[in-house]
Amino acid sequence: MGASGRTLGWLLNESASDTGVDRDALARALIELTREAEREKAASAAAAAQDPRLDQLRRLLLGHEIATLSRLRERIDDPELFADAVSRALPSAIAQASARDQRLGEVLAPTLASATQSSIRKDPRTLVNIIYPVIVPAIRRSITETIDATFESLNRTLAWSLSWRGLKWRLEAWRTGVPFAQVVLRHTLVYRVEHVFLIHRHTGLLIAQATAQDAAGQDPQLVSSMLVAIQDFVRDSFASGQDDALDSLRHGELLLWCEQGPAASLVAVIRGTPPESLHTVLNDTLMRIHAERGQALADFDGDSAPFADVSAQLAECVRLRQLSPHGRRRRRRPWLAGLLLLAVLGVATDAWRQARHEAGLWSNYVERLRGEPGIVVASAGKTTDGWQLSGLRDPLAADPDELLRLSGLDPARVHASWQPYQALNPSLVLQRLQALLAPPPTAGLAVDGDRIVASGEASAAWLQKARDIGRTLPAGTPQLELAAVRDLDDGELGRLRRDIEAKAVLFDFGEVIPGGAFDATLDEVAEGIRQLAELSARLGVVPRVTITGHSDSTGRSSANLSVSVARAEVVRALLIKRGVGPETVTVRGAGPLEPLNREESEAERSLNRRVSFRVAIDE
Amino acid sequence: MLQRKICMLGAFSVGKTSLVRRFVESAFSDTYLTTVGVKIDKKSVAIGERTLDLILWDIAGEDEVSTIRTSYLRGTAGYLLVADGTRPVTLDVACSLRERVTGLLGELPFVLLLNKCDLVDDWRVPAERVATLRQAEWPVATSSAKTGEGVEQAFRELADRLLDAKAPMSSPPQAP
Repeated sequence: MGASGRTLGWLLNESASDTGVDRDALARALIELTREAEREKAASAAAAAQDPRLDQLRRLLLGHEIATLSRLRERIDDPELFADAVSRALPSAIAQASARDQRLGEVLAPTLASATQSSIRKDPRTLVNIIYPVIVPAIRRSITETIDATFESLNRTLAWSLSWRGLKWRLEAWRTGVPFAQVVLRHTLVYRVEHVFLIHRHTGLLIAQATAQDAAGQDPQLVSSMLVAIQDFVRDSFASGQDDALDSLRHGELLLWCEQGPAASLVAVIRGTPPESLHTVLNDTLMRIHAERGQALADFDGDSAPFADVSAQLAECVRLRQLSPHGRRRRRRPWLAGLLLLAVLGVATDAWRQARHEAGLWSNYVERLRGEPGIVVASAGKTTDGWQLSGLRDPLAADPDELLRLSGLDPARVHASWQPYQALNPSLVLQRLQALLAPPPTAGLAVDGDRIVASGEASAAWLQKARDIGRTLPAGTPQLELAAVRDLDDGELGRLRRDIEAKAVLFDFGEVIPGGAFDATLDEVAEGIRQLAELSARLGVVPRVTITGHSDSTGRSSANLSVSVARAEVVRALLIKRGVGPETVTVRGAGPLEPLNREESEAERSLNRRVSFRVAIDE
Repeated sequence: MLQRKICMLGAFSVGKTSLVRRFVESAFSDTYLTTVGVKIDKKSVAIGERTLDLILWDIAGEDEVSTIRTSYLRGTAGYLLVADGTRPVTLDVACSLRERVTGLLGELPFVLLLNKCDLVDDWRVPAERVATLRQAEWPVATSSAKTGEGVEQAFRELADRLLDAKAPMSSPPQAP
């Protein structure tokens, strides 16, 4: 009863969702059917099915749905209508499917792949345009670098090989291991980017630009359009390929470089000689702009407002400029070089001066040696580490080593070998003679021309020795002249000697003590001996007084001998008592053997009984 | 900076160059026209508060011997057709040029200028012809380079039409 109850309810109550079903007819049909159905329940089911009133019921109940269904079917069957319906739902369906899981992507992948392939095959340029911003920098860079190395190397090599600067730079290249071309570039490049234009390829309109501070130029909009026009002109006139584009224009000092991108080109106006690497910079800028603003570039219609920030990127390119070689670096060079040169010169001059100085010292030394008597320089010269010297040297000559020390040279660097010899130079002979003769202080030896002259006074003994030695001197030696030497005896010393020797002290027969009459004589003798001693001391000689006792010939000789000795001793003692130095006097007895006379009278015999004095001067 | 590329097309010696001389900013001499075949000028038109720069490509005229270089037309947003009122044949040239441009680039905003309107006595273009064109929705104006009459208005008209129309097709897959 539930379902039918609901239906009845729906029948009886009108509701907002009423779709215009004929209620009255429906109600009547239902009631009839119900009555009939009870009566003909036993009747065949097929009859009930074929009852047109059922059909009518169906139509009444479900008419709305049937209409909807047929409309839907029509829509599905008609491909156009269906596509339209699906197309409206498709985007959000895909979005939801992708959000849900990966299945959509996986399912679509093969289809997309084949679609891409066929698209590329149909028009490869699409793919080129797509990957252009990515692949081109890498290719260009590698090509540029290769070409760099080859062409520039060749070019610059040829241009600079034979100049002085070129040689200098070659040295620098070799020294630093940098390619010669790069070295040349570093020194020669002066360039300046004056303008940079970003031009829309299709219309020729200017998208953005940057200009260097003091660069002059025409209206950039007109310039960029004209550039595009010229490019078209060239392409048309000379039948180059459709995709070919201007690469570079040179006009005197000005250089125009055009980097082409898919949607826009970058044109740089450069003054001077830029390095190839500038291409890379410009290209990178262009690629970056394409990568960041690809869509905006494609949509460009003349409104450059969206590209205001691109000017900043272009300004980067404009700021490029090479330091002028006449700038800082050049200025530093001569400074440094000058300093270096000065240092080198200084060292060189110093070394040279040192060498000269040493050479001067050496020659002075050798001259000095040569001038020195008793030194013969056989050879003198420079060795690798110093000097060498060889020759003859008289042992009495100056010491070459001493002279070397005084010369200022380093003694360690001088190798000298001297052979001894005897020089006959007067000065050396003098030295030799002085050593040999040992003249007394009262005499002296001196060189007079080519002779050695002795002067002063000396004892006879010395004179004799000197004469003997003089005779032994070898031939060619300067002669020894003794004529000027006075015998000591001739002087005061001689007088004293004679005085003393003239004295005699007499004795009585058999007496050993002298009589009182001879006290005065003894005084005189003592005084004389004292003076003698004094003078001798002054003259550097040693006097020796010999007291000889005598006797007459009377008596036995032995007794006479002892008497004579005693007499001498007594006198000696008496003299010593009078202040004579004991070492000065010596005693001897002569007995009767040295008489003064022949003893023919007593008077003569008394004269023989005496003491005599003899003075000897020793050196 | 709002810019549009405009081409000036017309037969030989219709006065295109004189037309613009007074009204545009020029940077290049007229010899460009005979050598490169195009001379670029700029005309600034004030639109409300902003300024629209019309970059004028004055393309060398067409005659029997030489035809215009169509590469110069690439990317144009609109064009100025110039005919000489004293020589009806130039109007035919202008019409054929328009066909050529439409064939190349599609429908673009343009203005037809009948020049030398100061030479009243020599005027040869019949008024009916002009009426026919006007009926065909052609924006037609008369001008005189000598007096300057009608030139400014023509540029302004073109500028308005440009801004109303769509932007020119840029960066097509195949460059014309």
